[in-house]
Amino acid sequence: MAQKKNPILMIILIFFLIEISLVFFSKGFNKEMQLGFDKGKFVFRNIESEYNLQHKITEEFQIDEYYKQSGEEPSIYGSNHLYNFFKKVFGQNSAMGTFQLLRMLLLVDILLLFLAILIKKRLLERPSQPQILFEVTYSALEQFVIETLGKEKVNYTPYIVTLFIFIWISNMIGMVPIPGFIEPTRNLNVPLGLGVFAVAIVHITAIKVKGFWGHLKNYVNPVKNPLFLLDIIGEFSKVVSISFRLFGNILGGAIIILVVSSLVSYVVFPVGLTLFFGVFVGTIQAFVFTMLALTYIGVEITE
Amino acid sequence: MELTLAQGIVKAAALLGAGMCMGMGALGPGVGEGFVAGKACEGIARSPENASLITRTMLVGQAVSESTGIYSLVIALLLIFST
Repeated sequence: MAQKKNPILMIILIFFLIEISLVFFSKGFNKEMQLGFDKGKFVFRNIESEYNLQHKITEEFQIDEYYKQSGEEPSIYGSNHLYNFFKKVFGQNSAMGTFQLLRMLLLVDILLLFLAILIKKRLLERPSQPQILFEVTYSALEQFVIETLGKEKVNYTPYIVTLFIFIWISNMIGMVPIPGFIEPTRNLNVPLGLGVFAVAIVHITAIKVKGFWGHLKNYVNPVKNPLFLLDIIGEFSKVVSISFRLFGNILGGAIIILVVSSLVSYVVFPVGLTLFFGVFVGTIQAFVFTMLALTYIGVEITE
Repeated sequence: MELTLAQGIVKAAALLGAGMCMGMGALGPGVGEGFVAGKACEGIARSPENASLITRTMLVGQAVSESTGIYSLVIALLLIFST
């Protein structure tokens, strides 16, 4: 098996070395040398691009602003009818950003559903490898739920597992090298929605456990707790803190990857940066978001 | 894109503010995360059998204490891109 892969690896390595040597001979941002096919012939191209770093950042993070400045037609990787529909509903100024975000969200959702159906169809007594992966993830998170909420509240596990897998896939999908693939969590609306939903579930749980008036007594009780207004503000700051943490980490990582890999002309460095900011930070932040949602629920139950 | 003098001054002040915000905002999380990592090292040295639990708790704690730095990053990005 390992013997067969060697020639392919060698070819990739040779291409990589040629690419590196070409990058060192090119000058700066505005000129880049490329290896590729042009009209059926294999050529080295010396491209003079009019775009600098500012253009790249604008294109990556404020796509509507970019198309408005440059006056180009937006390149849609998808259905034209859908884009025109979005243009009608949201207006010219936010059509492309909304389209991109919704496309990626839909892709993540379809991937999640597909994985779930695929795993459920092939449940075996002696589990296959993908089934083991999912079982380990599920049972580890179930253990956390039991430790935090107690044994009788184990029915919160599906929500926690879905939250974790959704955020994890969202963070990982930005690494796929296809144009137009961005992390959905890079847009503030997605983490904010998840955070609002998590805090809503916290309050529904509290009402279920203590009853409506019992839960309200904790907040509006001027005799026992004169600073009850601060508690109400604290609930909003929960949403802000849990969602801005995820958003800022993913967006900051994406900007650092873009800027630093432009500075080193895309040599070797981007791989390490993507490993750190994509895999490591993405996994940690998905885990932290899940754990904090679980902790907020646990505080209301155990009081 | 042509800027008038007043717009130029506002832009320069926003960029300066973004740099200062990021620099000062990185101080606290840096000190805090280093402190947490040092304490975790002590804990692992004292009881190596709990290493995985300590590492997990350390990572979650660091990610939580990092959030103030992330807020300053968000404000710096707002200053850079929205003025």
